[in-house]
Amino acid sequence: MKLLRPSSLDELDGGLPVHGGTEVVPLLRDGILHTETLVDVREIVPRGVRDGVVGAGTTLAELEVDPQIPDALREACRLAASPQLRNMGSLGGNLLQSTRCWYWRLKYPCRLHGGDRCHAADGEHREHAIFANDFCASAHPSDVAAALLALDARVHTSRRELGLAELYRVPDDADRRTTTLDPGELILEIELPPVEASVYLKAMDRKRWSFPQVGVAVARSSTGTRIALAGVAPIPWLLTGAEEVDAATPLPRTAWKVDVARALVGRALAQIA
Amino acid sequence: MARLIRTEKEVEGNFEEVWLVVEEDPLQQWPAGPLDVVGRPAVRKDARERVRGEARYTADIQLPGMLHAAVLRSPHAHARVRSIDLAPALALPGVHGAVGPGEAPGLEREAGYVGAPVAAVAAETFGQARAALASIRIEWEQLEAVLDPEQAVERVAVHGEAERYERGDFDRAVAEADVVVDGTYRTQVVLHNSMETHQSVCEWVGDRLDVHTSTQYVWGVRNEVARELGLSPDRVRVACEYMGGGFGSKNSAGEYTFVAAVLARATGRPVRCALTRREENVAAGNRNATIQRLTAAARSDGTIVALGGEYVNALGWGGWSASTEGPLKMLYACDNVRTVRHTAKINTPPMKAFRAPGFVEGTFGLECLIDRLAAALDIDPLELRRKNYASSNDGTPFSSKNLRQCYERAEKHWERRHDVRARSDARWKRGVGMASQIWYGGGGPPSYAWTRVGSDGRLAVVTAMQDIGTGTRTAMAQIAAEEFGIALDRVEVMLGDTSRGPFATLSAGSSTTPSMGPAVRAAAADAKRQVLEIAAQRYDLEERVLDIRGGRIESADGNLSVAVEEFLDLLGNVQILGKGARGPNPTGMSVLTFGVHVVEAAVDVETGEVDVERVAAIHDVGRIVNPLGAESQVEGGVIQGIGHTLSEARLMDAETGRILTTTLDAYRMPTIADVPEIVCEFVDEPDQHLTSLGSKGLGEPPIVPIAAAIANAIRDATGADVHELPISREEMLRALREARERERISGIR
Amino acid sequence: MPELRLTVNGGEHVLDAPVGASLAEVLREQLGLTGTKIACNEGHCGACTVQLDGVPVLSCITLAHAVEGAVTTIEGLREHPLIEAFIRADAVQCGFCTPGQVVSAAALVAAAPEPSAEQIRHAMAGNICRCGTYPKIEEAILHWRD
Repeated sequence: MKLLRPSSLDELDGGLPVHGGTEVVPLLRDGILHTETLVDVREIVPRGVRDGVVGAGTTLAELEVDPQIPDALREACRLAASPQLRNMGSLGGNLLQSTRCWYWRLKYPCRLHGGDRCHAADGEHREHAIFANDFCASAHPSDVAAALLALDARVHTSRRELGLAELYRVPDDADRRTTTLDPGELILEIELPPVEASVYLKAMDRKRWSFPQVGVAVARSSTGTRIALAGVAPIPWLLTGAEEVDAATPLPRTAWKVDVARALVGRALAQIA
Repeated sequence: MARLIRTEKEVEGNFEEVWLVVEEDPLQQWPAGPLDVVGRPAVRKDARERVRGEARYTADIQLPGMLHAAVLRSPHAHARVRSIDLAPALALPGVHGAVGPGEAPGLEREAGYVGAPVAAVAAETFGQARAALASIRIEWEQLEAVLDPEQAVERVAVHGEAERYERGDFDRAVAEADVVVDGTYRTQVVLHNSMETHQSVCEWVGDRLDVHTSTQYVWGVRNEVARELGLSPDRVRVACEYMGGGFGSKNSAGEYTFVAAVLARATGRPVRCALTRREENVAAGNRNATIQRLTAAARSDGTIVALGGEYVNALGWGGWSASTEGPLKMLYACDNVRTVRHTAKINTPPMKAFRAPGFVEGTFGLECLIDRLAAALDIDPLELRRKNYASSNDGTPFSSKNLRQCYERAEKHWERRHDVRARSDARWKRGVGMASQIWYGGGGPPSYAWTRVGSDGRLAVVTAMQDIGTGTRTAMAQIAAEEFGIALDRVEVMLGDTSRGPFATLSAGSSTTPSMGPAVRAAAADAKRQVLEIAAQRYDLEERVLDIRGGRIESADGNLSVAVEEFLDLLGNVQILGKGARGPNPTGMSVLTFGVHVVEAAVDVETGEVDVERVAAIHDVGRIVNPLGAESQVEGGVIQGIGHTLSEARLMDAETGRILTTTLDAYRMPTIADVPEIVCEFVDEPDQHLTSLGSKGLGEPPIVPIAAAIANAIRDATGADVHELPISREEMLRALREARERERISGIR
Repeated sequence: MPELRLTVNGGEHVLDAPVGASLAEVLREQLGLTGTKIACNEGHCGACTVQLDGVPVLSCITLAHAVEGAVTTIEGLREHPLIEAFIRADAVQCGFCTPGQVVSAAALVAAAPEPSAEQIRHAMAGNICRCGTYPKIEEAILHWRD
């Protein structure tokens, strides 16, 4: 394996991008990711916040304390991962992290790995998805993504501009990926539209350093109120309204998550009203 | 003088009858309360090197030419190795040796769980060793696996006969009782997760074997390695000066030690065999799951007339069946008790002792049920516990028991419940719960210590005990300083090495301080006696008028006062050598520890979040040697217990038997953010019948009652009965739903 | 093996290490700085915490070759007042996580010389202590300059 450190986008030529390394390094060791060429993209991905645009190389720790950042995103960063991981992990990397589904992490031949079964649906799934879970029951672990989805953020990549929702796709039989990013495509910046009020609430089983059991982000802007959830579907999950929680399709051991989601959505809406 | 006795020896609640040579302990107990050194807070003797990262753990041992071993583990829950070919692994770059089933103790042909060790490879790097495992050609014969404990009991897939106990007439007492409550409680598998994983580094020097290992019992590993490898025990040296946590899981040698030893012999190089975190969480032991079907019956005046329990210990492929029923048999005065304990042999990783094994699980069920009984009787839970106070252990007197004083001290915490409840709001319901604690912790013989005093007047304690992080090195130094009469900083304790001290107990079962303390005291007294003998001759005084106090040899009339080092300076290289042994435990008495926890908890009734806000932990463990270290032990036990109660669960795939939560993002132990206010109190009364020290152990007691106290606080706050550990949001929301349903039905009535 | 340049505790080192080598491995095995512990080796426990330009990071999942700033390990903090504060408060049991705790705490008190309990709990939540030394750690950091 070799490590390249390009200093401009023009020098990008394949390989596996790595920024903070908090996800890529463990997945490489586990043999879930493979590459001959690791590309350290820290010199080409912008870092810092300016006029509502956040460089995708900004760390979660930097966002957590930045007064320019809307409350929902700041709180999502503050409650994400551990202090050291927030110091290392970039915003762009956080959006691209993989599920914590233990079957996937243990390399069971599950659907997300190209197999023909969801082992979680038939097995141990108490922390898994309650929406869009019929093909794959994994839960997306990014607090930050839910906050950005509620904030209606736009993503600037090395090739295009898209809404955050379009960055993700529910995996299906034809395509097992959970993002729409092409190989070699880098997230460069996140654009945050103006927001009047926003909030992020997170249910965890310890007070810090837990992936979301259920994360709820709500943002109110001139165009309306958006509700997005973390930890409830294979991708960050946008609700059309609070009542959509009732349309959840929990597995036998995830019914409790529906109750938690309902309570947190109600609270979040009350807080920004 | 040595005396041969027949006695009951207790380790972790396991008893066996043994012949034992003991030496009488001629010293009188010190008076109760703080002395010059003992009973006063002391910072750890070894804190500096640990905090500065200088302490050398097994994980830090790097020997020249050292190879690294990796272990091949079974991918099947139950299977037999039909054939195995190690040759392809041996042909790979960097690989120097390999062993298969039967070639090292612990590597077996029949694998009883996913992760059972089968073979091992030693290579220049761990990466090479691990990569080589994949090339081992192995053919498995799959066998039927049983993964469900209740199914195992039904099918008699068990370890031994069911353990039955009965006193009085249980059935009749239940039939005649005014109030009967029953319930089924379940506790989960929890993982020790010592920060330093299980590991050993072995090196042969001629036909002697050096073993560096992360262990709670250097002497035990020495004997086990000698026995298994056919060596004379004194040709095996086992060293562990610093170790990174054990909690009961490091009481024996383990296959990693044998793998390292055998591969080191085969390759002529030192070999490290260290478990990865993921291996640790499969193969290094666990607290087994339990199922408890419990019954309590009482007269309307609150007298408990019957207690019954049917228990299943879901042991796994190996380990031993702890006394889950122990608290139910011993905590309360009750004439009619019936228990039966089944031990399911399932194809899951083996149990190992984990901080008060059995009693942690059993106390959860029992003390939850007692609170339900109090509610059914409409009696205050503290009052009910006092009313049924056991004044003997089914007829056997206690060597000391101050649980009543614990209850008295609990009152002020218990009385806060009205204020705590009043702080409830629509979302957070608050309440207070309590639970009592009973456990062993008396230690016992044998255990030995030597002391050495040189011309500098400093005292060295030499013994093959170990400090596993509990602070026993410091406690022993305090005891030696107190007895010898010098300052704490003039005492060194040399431990953690079988080649430089006599036999010492294992550090498990809360036994180090009660077992070693009296031996250390006796050894210090022996050295002091000799110093005074010499001083008597030097100053032409009678020995009985001399004493050492505050580092000075003084005569009773005050005419002589000389610093110990000043006097001993005349000795040159002469050394004064003392020895001490642990005397016997009192015969015909039960030596037990007691306590009570009072917990304040809040429950978010909409999301099922449980927040433990305050814990008052009151314990009776005899004399407290180091109040500072004791407080740390209690806080640590409480916090570990909070993890067991709220967030920790080892999960397994029910189809394959594979453990799913092997990483620390999935197996969630408490962080600093999860810690409530913890108030520690000690009764601090020496046990008059137990040794010259009167101290019992404290490692385990504080983890025993915390789960039930939290569950009872939840019940006080919400009316909801939780039945299962951990009290996840799922379990909490279920219990809340059940409580609302109960309320609705009783409303209709 | 590619050349690796590292600045550790003020000293410059030129080493050889494979691209996949973690900073923790290099510190422990090549530089003999065994105060940095490896307990989970996958970024979950904080035992391996070191500072990069003063910021706490997990050296077990940091590629040594990707390190740009100055590395500070526990060996570089041995004279820090936190050492005495930890000793005084009994903020050490088995001690295996303790160097990592000190490294995280040193970054905290550099940024916030009078940290509140709330700040401590937020900044120290990535350092797992299985012995449960947390109340004493909190006390040590609260009173680090006493």
